[in-house]
Amino acid sequence: MNAHSSPTLWNRLVLWYHQMGSPPYFYAFAGRWRPWFIAATLITAVIGLYGGLLLAPADYQQGDAYRIIFIHVPCAWMSLFTYAFMAGCGLVGLVWRVKLAEILAMESAPIGAAFTFVTLVTGSLWGKPMWGAWWTWDARLTSELVLLFLYLGVIGLYHAFEDTRQGARAAAFLALIGVVNLPIVHYSVVWWNTLHQGTTVRLFGPSRITWSMLWPLLTMALSTHLYLGWSLLGRARVALLELEGGKDWARAIALEDAPHG
Amino acid sequence: MSAPSARTGYVAVLRRDLLLAWRRRGEAALPVLYALIVATLFPFALGPEGALLSRIAAGVVLVTVLLAMLLSLDGLFRPDWEDGSLEQLLLAPQPLGLLLAAKILAHWLTTALPLLLASPLLAAMLHLPTAVLPVLMAALVLATPLMSLLGALVVALTVGTRRSGMLLALMLLPLMVPVVIFAAGAVSAAQQGLPFIAPLAWLGAALVLALVLAPAACAAALRIALDA
Repeated sequence: MNAHSSPTLWNRLVLWYHQMGSPPYFYAFAGRWRPWFIAATLITAVIGLYGGLLLAPADYQQGDAYRIIFIHVPCAWMSLFTYAFMAGCGLVGLVWRVKLAEILAMESAPIGAAFTFVTLVTGSLWGKPMWGAWWTWDARLTSELVLLFLYLGVIGLYHAFEDTRQGARAAAFLALIGVVNLPIVHYSVVWWNTLHQGTTVRLFGPSRITWSMLWPLLTMALSTHLYLGWSLLGRARVALLELEGGKDWARAIALEDAPHG
Repeated sequence: MSAPSARTGYVAVLRRDLLLAWRRRGEAALPVLYALIVATLFPFALGPEGALLSRIAAGVVLVTVLLAMLLSLDGLFRPDWEDGSLEQLLLAPQPLGLLLAAKILAHWLTTALPLLLASPLLAAMLHLPTAVLPVLMAALVLATPLMSLLGALVVALTVGTRRSGMLLALMLLPLMVPVVIFAAGAVSAAQQGLPFIAPLAWLGAALVLALVLAPAACAAALRIALDA
């Protein structure tokens, strides 16, 4: 690796990766960063919601009812992003047996399930006035529901084991099977004629949405990502303490927090 | 002494599982009875109207057969895990995926085959048009091995846990969605007089893929779940 063009940056990354794998280091790191994450989440959420609910114009067809998009779409993106994150961490955990990767994978599952649930609920609240039905068996809705089942399966399998780390590895494997399965489910249900609108925001080419609606949407997407960071760091801290309860560093923290005397 | 060949191991596992199933042949009838009872409940719930029943018959038979197989899946590895022979399989010099393929084949022969034989009866009870029956049977012939393979993959992950039938259903259901869609798609196309080969071909392609990949993935899952 010495021949690499920027060895110092590479070395720093490797060092950071290995430091992160150490539970006490990660515990302290997560504790330091959590306030920043929640502060940034709240600020971006306030800006995004203000832009979305007050500044953005009403839709010419749907009126004000479309404004639920500022919750619905970021949560839908996050439901997929969190799954990809979970599967990625699960792969790292399975291949290199990194304890922290297993914890991050398992602790992101309930957050992802919550995002999926919020997506389904806001979608059905939006669907009632627009389509006249709370639920339809459309491709996107069905895939999202299957995604929720996948999350619940991962969470259920994780908790079915007596040994936490064994459960984490089995559940991570299930999450990886789900990665293969999700596109198959999606394209097989696309067969049915769909009611859900097509992709509006596109990474490549012009988006089919006006800028005054797009920027609050992207701000909300940023906010939900930051929320994931805040929630995940907190959950991972607790899980680490539980897993490492017998170790010296965890004991030192417990003694520090205990009331003296 | 050199280890017996992979073929010998495969045949030995297959023979052992089939023999065990034959010694407890009463148990093989239970999934069929279950499917029969579930299919009987539908006319009670929906009314005995022939036109309605014949429209839903294929879907009911399909889902009933899949549920009956789901119930039998827990017995695929658990008895072997409890008496320790599963660990012997893990230690065997032959490739684990191949030995598991033998177990999955035995499971299909003892669970899915009786269900396949019973499904014309179920279809007749629900007034499925006779012309559609061959398509339903073709769909079942392709869908049940898929169910066995994917089920084995999922059930391998739960071997080390406490008994958890509901969990198995939750884990397997997302995997079965495409299988149900394609199998039901073929039958409903045939019922409307449309070409039905495409969904059957998709099922066949999925089966070929699963035949190659699932036993190896199942072996990996078993090693993870048992920490071996």
